[in-house]
Amino acid sequence: MLTEIQEGKALNPVVKYITQEKINLYAEASGDFNPIHVDESFAAKTPLGGTIAHGMLNLAYVSEMMTSAFGRSWLSEGKLRARFKEPARPGDTLTINGKIGCVEQKDDVSYANCSFECRNQKGEIIVMGETRVKFSNDKK
Amino acid sequence: MSVKTISYGELIPGYKFPPAIYELRASLVSKYLKAVDSAGDGFVPPLAITACAIAAMTGSFSPPSGTIVIHASQELEFFKLVPIGATIECHTGVAQKITRGKMSVLILEFEVFDKGKEKVQSGRATIAVPT
Repeated sequence: MLTEIQEGKALNPVVKYITQEKINLYAEASGDFNPIHVDESFAAKTPLGGTIAHGMLNLAYVSEMMTSAFGRSWLSEGKLRARFKEPARPGDTLTINGKIGCVEQKDDVSYANCSFECRNQKGEIIVMGETRVKFSNDKK
Repeated sequence: MSVKTISYGELIPGYKFPPAIYELRASLVSKYLKAVDSAGDGFVPPLAITACAIAAMTGSFSPPSGTIVIHASQELEFFKLVPIGATIECHTGVAQKITRGKMSVLILEFEVFDKGKEKVQSGRATIAVPT
């Protein structure tokens, strides 16, 4: 976890390699068997040209980065807004980076507002967005 | 979970999907953690709960034939941790439906409660459906 919560501080990045096996596992765990994720012959005939990872799988990696930085504060009181820009595909390596944009104080409670980006190995943005986490002042 | 599906055309703003109940068993959480390549920390990952809520919505309607459904954006707010083994209830519905040219956008919203009726999380998912 972060020992200091300061504006501009970068969060530890998370790097993940996407495979069709991981996508299939996520489909089983989530119950989302949309063929665009799991049916390679169906997906090949769509404008996407092949299977893509579930957007929520990519967001799980963002959540991993946030949990690593803020622990239970994130898990129990986090807030997230994400925009899916491009699909992640099997064979992609995703790197999730984030940083603390600003720290606000409201009624004795502090909030860290962060931004994040998830990019593939070509540098394309897959997901981007903002998060907000409440934290106690003794961590500041 | 087997649910009755309705057609995409029948989805209108204000429509509520039937509530969906999930028991977050250790086996389900373990499967989720394996899928997202994470170690976990003794609680149900909030995004595993989100996955249940989204499945409750997207599994309840059938998209127009020959189309694909694209997840365009997601908003989430977490309110409390949920222990493994807990039961949750997902309340989901249609907030907005916008059609522009050959693209239809559906904004779905959800709230998840625990057995004590305390809110666990809420969110909104924007789904794009090229028609």
